[in-house]
Amino acid sequence: MSIIEVDALTVRAGAKALISNVSLNVEAGTWCTIVGPNGAGKTTLVETVAGLRRAAGGSVTITGRPLDAMNERERARVVSLVPQHPEVPAGMTVKEYVSLGRSAYHGLLRAPSARDRSIVDSVVERLSLQEFAERDVVTLSGGERQRMVLARALAQSTMVIVLDEPITGLDLRHQMDLLELLKTQVEECGLTIVATMHDLTLAGQFADRLVLLDRGAVVLDGPAAVVVRSRELSQCYGIDLRVIDVDGADVVVPVRS
Amino acid sequence: MALVTILTLIGLCVAVVCGLAIGPTSIGTQRILGSVLSRVGIGHSTLTSLQYSVVWQLRAPRLVLGLLAGAMLSVAGGTYQGVFRNPLADPYLLGVAAGAGLGATFAIMDIGNGTYTPTWTPLLAFAGAMVAVAVTWIIGGRGLRSNASTLILAGVAVSALLTSMQTFLQQQASAQSIARVYIWLLGSLASASWSSVDLVLPYVLVCTTICVLAGRALDVMSVGEDESRSLGVPVRRVRFIVIGASSLGTAAIVSAVGLIGFVGIIVPHIVRLLVGTSYRRILPISVAFGAAFLVFADTIARTVIAPSELPLGVVTALVGAPVFVLILSLRKQLVR
Repeated sequence: MSIIEVDALTVRAGAKALISNVSLNVEAGTWCTIVGPNGAGKTTLVETVAGLRRAAGGSVTITGRPLDAMNERERARVVSLVPQHPEVPAGMTVKEYVSLGRSAYHGLLRAPSARDRSIVDSVVERLSLQEFAERDVVTLSGGERQRMVLARALAQSTMVIVLDEPITGLDLRHQMDLLELLKTQVEECGLTIVATMHDLTLAGQFADRLVLLDRGAVVLDGPAAVVVRSRELSQCYGIDLRVIDVDGADVVVPVRS
Repeated sequence: MALVTILTLIGLCVAVVCGLAIGPTSIGTQRILGSVLSRVGIGHSTLTSLQYSVVWQLRAPRLVLGLLAGAMLSVAGGTYQGVFRNPLADPYLLGVAAGAGLGATFAIMDIGNGTYTPTWTPLLAFAGAMVAVAVTWIIGGRGLRSNASTLILAGVAVSALLTSMQTFLQQQASAQSIARVYIWLLGSLASASWSSVDLVLPYVLVCTTICVLAGRALDVMSVGEDESRSLGVPVRRVRFIVIGASSLGTAAIVSAVGLIGFVGIIVPHIVRLLVGTSYRRILPISVAFGAAFLVFADTIARTVIAPSELPLGVVTALVGAPVFVLILSLRKQLVR
């Protein structure tokens, strides 16, 4: 059953269409990654699914409800966001930052309830952030910081998490750690993930499905193994891409022409 | 946090005592306290009728107006800094000062012909301030749809326009009336009365309460507009409410006491250094700290060169800047 239904979605910036007529359904408990060259409209698409942009046409429905019909608080209980460049306010502790994820539940005038605090503690523990819990957020490394932002999104207890380039700026080990962590959430907790990624190899290894976007339109949508081997992928990037099988895992490499 | 709260409240009590007890007419602190207690039905006052008038008709309204002005300007400054995520924001950012200045200049020069400060001055200053903020809000990207940067830029443009209009008005005037305008612009509590307290009290109570209650929302909004929306904050609605409350309260205060600078920008920063970056702590402490700070500054302003007075805005800057630098350096040492 589809938890996210994107139907003929068009988003504009002034007169320019950033994405046009995009349709996409995402099944509950699966991982869908949007790939494509710079300027393809990946960020626009995920920001619209997260409710941050208004559609000029078409609709986005999550759990059967149109996003436009929800207010901010209702939306924050349905879909959470891990942005590409999260803002990290100095002076806030890691635990306080993760607690922001509960704002949609306790509201802006009340303190977090015992249940809110218990959920925050549990997420902090699940993401192994206990040792940093009382540290100032600006003292964390890139990998720790990204885990903390993911913890905030998980604290929102939503069924859908949208991630925009979640592994940008992380070293290889931290990239793998974060993606494994997300995969665990999908497999064990039934979380639905919609992400954008530039690394086609990792996108193919972790996502159940890849959606290839170019110039604001869906070019190809299918299982990762099919999309990474497609001719359309090379055409969209304008370079020669090859797939190498390494112990059953697809590795996408560009080849100099 | 608890220690800072206790010390701030002690400071506030000391400021109240200083505000009532210090002045050109020497009246013992004990006798003043006795008079205060007698008004709540404990004991009886030993003040002469002259001393009674000095305390209750001159110093007390001035003290209360000072407390209200300090509290309002400080909490409004803290709120502006939070909502615009800009450390240089102060309560005059969206044109309150320029609008009030133009309104007051118009009152003094047109209605009073530059020869006196008419009773209409506060009303026109208030109207000028509110019109300026409304115009800023309207041109700053159609109100609710605007973002913080657009509003700031609109505020700068509106302020520049109104200030130039005020300068033009002043250019047509005599030296005497220009001096009168400047006295108003520099801010003073000298003309405080119980009627001016009655006038601003409802605004300050309501607006300060709204600002303090916005602390939790401002904490969430410290992660930026898009992220706070994704966390469930109706950013534009919150911005409209807190900017409205801060501007309305500031306009009410400015109409009663003129333009007192520095308090709205420096007090929230001092408090931030003492209690950390959470607006849930900064805003309520700023209310008490700002109130105490302005009363201390006013006590200095009216006593240093008595019977004349120093401009209050000058004293707030002269006292505030060194206090800020001191706390900044002490904090650096503590962090090391």
